[in-house]
Amino acid sequence: MSPSRILLAAALAAFAVPALAQDNKITVQNKIAQCQGCHGIPDWKTAFPEVYRVPKLSGQKAAYIVAALKAYKSGERDFATMRAIAADLTEEQMQAVAKYYGEAAATTTADAKK
Amino acid sequence: MKTHFGIDLCRRFATRDLCRRFATRDLCRRFATTAALLALATPAFAASGDADVGRKKSAPCAACHGPNGVSPAPDFPNLAGQHADYLHASLKHYKNGKRKNPIMQGQVANLSEKDMLDLSAFFASQKGLDIKY
Repeated sequence: MSPSRILLAAALAAFAVPALAQDNKITVQNKIAQCQGCHGIPDWKTAFPEVYRVPKLSGQKAAYIVAALKAYKSGERDFATMRAIAADLTEEQMQAVAKYYGEAAATTTADAKK
Repeated sequence: MKTHFGIDLCRRFATRDLCRRFATRDLCRRFATTAALLALATPAFAASGDADVGRKKSAPCAACHGPNGVSPAPDFPNLAGQHADYLHASLKHYKNGKRKNPIMQGQVANLSEKDMLDLSAFFASQKGLDIKY
C-alpha cells in the first residue's frame, strides 16, 4: 500500500468514526422516541383486551428495564406492542434506553419536586 | 251472566297481550336497573384498593421491593408511585401465569383480588417513579 493510500484510509477512518457515533446517537434517540409514544404520555392506557395504564419508567432500576426488554424480545414476557419494539433492539440499545429512564434520572425529578 | 264467546276470547287475548307487555316492560326495567348498578359498581370496584389495608399486607413485598417501594437490589423493580392499575394487572398476570417469574408466582398464589387491589393502591400511593418524556 502506498503512503498516500494509507493517509487516505486514515483520513476516511477519522471521518467515519464520529459519523458512526453520531448514527448510534440518532438511533438511540429514535428508540427512546418509540418509548415516549406511550410511556411519555401521562395516564396512557393499553388497549383491548385488558385496559390499564402503561407503567411509569422514570426512576425504574436500569437492570430491571433491560431484563424486561430481553424478556419481551425472547417472548418470555407477552405483550404484542412491547414484543414488536424489543425485537428490534440490540443489547446496547436496551442499555441506552435503561440508562435514559434509569434510577439516577428519576432521583433528580423527585428532588426537583421537593 | 253468560258472556258472548267472541267477547270472552277477545278479553282473554287482550289480557294475555297486556300481561306479556307488562312482563316484558318489567323485565326490561329490571335489566336496565341491573345494568346501571353494574356500570356504577365496576369502576368503583376497580378503584377500591385501600392503601392503608395494603400497607398492612405489604410486609412480604418489602423484603425485595423495599418498605417504601424502592428496591434495595438492582434486579427488582421499584414499585413506589407506579400506576395502581398496572401493578394490579401485573399481579393478576403473575397469578394466572401470563407473566412468569418463580418468585412472584409463589408470592401471589395466596392473594385474593382484594389483596391485590389493596397492595397496588399502597405502592401507587408512595412517592417514587415518574413519567419522563
